[in-house]
Amino acid sequence: MDADTALPSRAPTATTNELESPRRPLSLAARAAIATGFVLAGFLGLVGLTLSQANNERALSALHDRLQNFAIAYITNTDVNRYGNKLLPPSDTLPDPNFSRPGSGLYAVAVGEYGFHWESASAIGRDFSFLKPLQPGESQFIGPIDTRMGRLYYYSYGVALDTDDKKKSVQLTMTVAQTEAQFEGDNAVFRRTLVIWLSILGVMLIVLQLLLLRWSLTPLRKVASDMSRVERGDSEQLDSQYPLELTGLTERINAFINNEREQRTRYRHTLADLAHSLKTPLAVIRSQLESAAGDEPSRRNGVLVQVRRMDELVAYQLSRAATSGRQTFASAVPIAGHAEDLVQSLEKVYAAKNVLCEFDIDDDAVFYGEQGDLLELMGNLLENAFKWAGHRVLLIVKTQPSPGRQRPGLRLSVEDDGPGIAEDKIDKVLQRGVRGDERVQGHGIGLSIVQDIVHAYQGELVVDRSPEFGGARFSVKLAAS
Amino acid sequence: MRILLVEDEAPLRETLAARLKRDGFAVDAAQDGEEGIYLGREVPFDLAIIDLGLPKMSGMDLVKALREAGQRYPILILTARGSWQDKVEGLKYGADDYLVKPFHVEELLARINALVRRASGWSKPILACGMIKLDTTAQTVTVEGKLVDLTSYEYKVLEYLMLHAGELVSKADLTEHIYQQDFDRDSNVLEVFIGRLRRKLDPEGTLKPIETVRGRGYRFAIPRTDGDDE
Repeated sequence: MDADTALPSRAPTATTNELESPRRPLSLAARAAIATGFVLAGFLGLVGLTLSQANNERALSALHDRLQNFAIAYITNTDVNRYGNKLLPPSDTLPDPNFSRPGSGLYAVAVGEYGFHWESASAIGRDFSFLKPLQPGESQFIGPIDTRMGRLYYYSYGVALDTDDKKKSVQLTMTVAQTEAQFEGDNAVFRRTLVIWLSILGVMLIVLQLLLLRWSLTPLRKVASDMSRVERGDSEQLDSQYPLELTGLTERINAFINNEREQRTRYRHTLADLAHSLKTPLAVIRSQLESAAGDEPSRRNGVLVQVRRMDELVAYQLSRAATSGRQTFASAVPIAGHAEDLVQSLEKVYAAKNVLCEFDIDDDAVFYGEQGDLLELMGNLLENAFKWAGHRVLLIVKTQPSPGRQRPGLRLSVEDDGPGIAEDKIDKVLQRGVRGDERVQGHGIGLSIVQDIVHAYQGELVVDRSPEFGGARFSVKLAAS
Repeated sequence: MRILLVEDEAPLRETLAARLKRDGFAVDAAQDGEEGIYLGREVPFDLAIIDLGLPKMSGMDLVKALREAGQRYPILILTARGSWQDKVEGLKYGADDYLVKPFHVEELLARINALVRRASGWSKPILACGMIKLDTTAQTVTVEGKLVDLTSYEYKVLEYLMLHAGELVSKADLTEHIYQQDFDRDSNVLEVFIGRLRRKLDPEGTLKPIETVRGRGYRFAIPRTDGDDE
């Protein structure tokens, strides 16, 4: 088939089903092509059959007429003398020269009473014993029958011939026969012509049909390509004009996409509310305990430690729940602008440190996912770097295009010129919940959050030493998809 | 040092206010955004602490409104959610620092000190004017390397004067920034504090760190020797 066959495989739903059902139903184009192919073959076959049947009948009736004319011509030229002997026409008055050529396939035979038998020159030596005399006025057209001369059509006509004086009447049966070979020769030419033209017609119709199919499936292809634009994040929803039959589908898909987005937003807001309502009481407990002057400092410290643990748990679990991870309908979040915002914010907060943050960000670098996830990812990595840096931080964001994939891969790394992380400590730093720093303020959950986001987006987090600055380098790799 | 505290959660607001007062700050507390914007426009604060999740007017809008009203004092935002989206937005609108709830009160105090110091042009935590050094982190004062014993109010007065070293600080400024609103402004408590400070810092009367500008206020006369070698 043509490219149409591959159409449904580009639809996103088909790719997810692929794993479960090894046999994919036939494509729409293939279905239509097969169906119309069969209908067309049947139709053209019937047309051919009908036409050839009609032609056969017409040829048969023409043959009938011809043989009848020959018989009548013979009879007209036949005389009976006064003794009642039949005088058959001489050979120069033959209705067709083939009657005089032996084995020509055209034969005339006359049979009469008392064993009268006459035959044309072409029929000499042939066996026409199967012919039966007919009553005057009777006629019959028979064929094809098998004889020694091959399959034969013949016309017989019974007449009563009067003598000149009208005293006597003799009966005669005139038969003109023609072999099938001659008759079939004409028919075969017709049939061949018919088959050729019907085949040409068939091919033309199939080509036309495929073109029509392509044209009428164009909207479906459009939906599929719009869908992958939504998937790539180039478009918010299916926003082209679609034919009436598809609007039901596309509107529902749009509704679904919107619904999914709204649900996510609602979910995030709920989490924010939850965070607020859980953390404020914790803040109250903490500040009251810390400000409470006086007695039993050891018990107070015990409670404070527990409060801190609760606080870390709440912060970590909430941010984990807010991470949405890899999505089918993710919008593309441009990275450069957000990175600049984050760096400006951090430069403000860490103004006293005089940190110089350079960045090298591809202009077209985008993150396929929630903007919040991107901000958490970069924010935590950058803040970490600002915390530990002496004076320099470097942020690199590179896209890694991979042909054949809709979304290019992404490599994001943050380096600093701080002390770095000793190789044997790296595992510990990445271990969830372990606080990599106790010295600098912060929940120590930043890296755990980063790891969770990276994990949710099926990425990879690598910690090593910055080749340029000598401090720590955190690299996040997100694969193309 | 006068601080605006906008926090809707009463227990937290009260605890923080009490703690800040104990540390010698003058605190005006507001329980929602509207009260916050009213106070924030009227009173010459040295710093504002604003919770982002406020009723009536969100903390984010309050920060924006204060900056639009031309208030330049540093703003520290408190956020429960701690999402970078909030932090970035808040800092973009004009906040200077953030703290994620819940936080150590000590951490908050350290941030406040650093912000105030930075706002008056000191980049290091130790304010040095000649022989007199004030450590904003440890809240200690040394003269020629010897520790001077100060009460928290005396410390605050000195800190305020040193933060604005070389500038004229009116009595009204000092009272407004050091004391609560209900403090009796007509009393001569301030003169008493200044007198005590002078005696403690300069018992021999050779340094003359604080000069009186007659009828207008005071000036910390020793120039900054804050080595900004960074």
